[in-house]
Amino acid sequence: MTQNKNATPEGVVRYVEGAKVLDYLPQVFNVKPSSSYYFWLMAPALIVLAAISIYPFFWLIWMSLHNVGSSAGDTFVGLKNFEKLLTDDKFWIGWGLLFKYTAFCMFFEIAIGVLLAVILNGHRFENILVTVFLMPMMMAPAIAGLVWYYLFNSTFGWYHWLMQSLGILGETSIIGSTDTAMAALIIVDIWQWTPLITLITLAGLKRVPRDQLEANMVDGASAFRNFVAITLPNIYPFLLIGIMLRFMDNFRFIDVILALTGGGPAESTKVLPVYLFDVSFVFFKLGRGAAIALTLLIVTIILCKLLVRVFEGPASKRTDMGS
Amino acid sequence: MASRDVVTYKTPLSRLLNVVIVIFLAFYLVWTILPLFLMFVSSFKDLLAAFQLPPVGAFSQIGIFFDFEPTTKHYYNLFYNLGFSTYLMNSIIAAGGSAVVSVVLGSMAAYSLSRVDFRGKGDLFFWIISTRMAPVVAVLVPLYAIFRGFDLIGTRTGLILAYTTFNLPFAIWILKGFFDNVPFAIEEASMVDGSTRFQAFRAILPLVAPGIGAFLVLCVLFAWNDFLFASIIGSGGAKTLPPATRELVQPQNIQWGSIMAAGVVTTVPMMFLGLLIRRYLVTGLTMGAVRE
Repeated sequence: MTQNKNATPEGVVRYVEGAKVLDYLPQVFNVKPSSSYYFWLMAPALIVLAAISIYPFFWLIWMSLHNVGSSAGDTFVGLKNFEKLLTDDKFWIGWGLLFKYTAFCMFFEIAIGVLLAVILNGHRFENILVTVFLMPMMMAPAIAGLVWYYLFNSTFGWYHWLMQSLGILGETSIIGSTDTAMAALIIVDIWQWTPLITLITLAGLKRVPRDQLEANMVDGASAFRNFVAITLPNIYPFLLIGIMLRFMDNFRFIDVILALTGGGPAESTKVLPVYLFDVSFVFFKLGRGAAIALTLLIVTIILCKLLVRVFEGPASKRTDMGS
Repeated sequence: MASRDVVTYKTPLSRLLNVVIVIFLAFYLVWTILPLFLMFVSSFKDLLAAFQLPPVGAFSQIGIFFDFEPTTKHYYNLFYNLGFSTYLMNSIIAAGGSAVVSVVLGSMAAYSLSRVDFRGKGDLFFWIISTRMAPVVAVLVPLYAIFRGFDLIGTRTGLILAYTTFNLPFAIWILKGFFDNVPFAIEEASMVDGSTRFQAFRAILPLVAPGIGAFLVLCVLFAWNDFLFASIIGSGGAKTLPPATRELVQPQNIQWGSIMAAGVVTTVPMMFLGLLIRRYLVTGLTMGAVRE
């Protein structure tokens, strides 16, 4: 809040053509505005947020140090839960699979998403096409997983039939084989979330300065050269946001995986969050689950630090109000 | 776009490029719509018709996909035999409740965070956004243990609280950006006219109302589409549509027609909501980092 430096106890002093004018204002403006009013406005939200985020966080730490739910009640076990993780193959494989899954998803989504955005930008049907393309994003990931489960089914799935007919696949369904199950998950993620990258990139493309593009063209640069030299640096901050968001969401959500493969076959798609889900809610080893959850959270928080920095980048500069 | 105006001479190469672009767009359009279309059509197919496939490689017989008697019995089955009216109600109450709680508390907090400066504000923001970004399963573990203690498992209240863990930080974060865009001068003017500070807050609400409405809708969408919280915290008494649909997948008898119908029931309202707030979608989905 800006304090008018001309404020005096009687009001705000202003000079109009040399004459002293007093603007009388409510008392609130003459004293330093108290922040307690604002504090009370934000208090309810912060209290609720603390109750559902900070409190559970400490609870999580407590759980990770205990053997929760054993017949003898919760017993303190120190760092044993973490020690066990060091030798737990599934834990490390889970991390590996998570990064593999995320990396593949992001590579294809960025490649296809940017290509699509460049094509769509200024296209005659840009608006309607973008609107259609973003439909999959509105779908619940669990439902998307089930629909694709149906499409990939080896006896009546149309996509399976198509892949078989094209000679890509044999009898085994894509989700039935350890070699291809991960690919199926990546396909669904690409289907659902490539449009997000396209939307973000399109927003970036709208801000590429036209005069620079034209000047470069006049200087004889090719369209490709133009893209690399001018467009790409301009949309780079936007791409960064897209990458970070997809990265986060691939860590956050396992709905598609649970619906489509459930971590199988033979644990070939058991990324870390799915493993965590199994440990905690299938075998109900909550203490051990808490230890895994804590490591996952810490990695995410570090990534968040990066994200916030990206968010303060040039892409978030506001142009106009409310749009 | 400008480059389009500059390069207007048509070489054979640019014509070829145009053809390639059209093919690519057509392919992408089909790729996007086909799963949705198949879901929609399959929900009207009888069980036998849904399982009809042409022989491998017989592309000419693709038409058998449309060879069926449309039936609405799966929808009937959902609501009369499988209890989906309860699940639908659970979804509406849990998603709507959490959205309202988040947006009301969130807009108050966002407004004051936008108007006041204090030490540690940056840390507060970091806490808020990291709450939103935390992996759902990792949040679920302690929340489950706590909610079990409070008997909140299987209740709509429990679900509303659980959804608030991601909706409230989202609302605070994104609405703060909104209030930042409203000049303080407007409130100042209102207070000069003698209104209290709270009335001044209400005076700027019409300016941000469209945004608040849009992000309320987005909160509904996030909560509605959730699967994990609903399947653990809602299990028992407060099952919502996604986990209820997932439960139709049983080892012995997968009820595909009903699953597809449930998919339509879950998806179609959200698509309408998505179109409704199309203008705010990019801002919302990127947590305010990108504006169209």
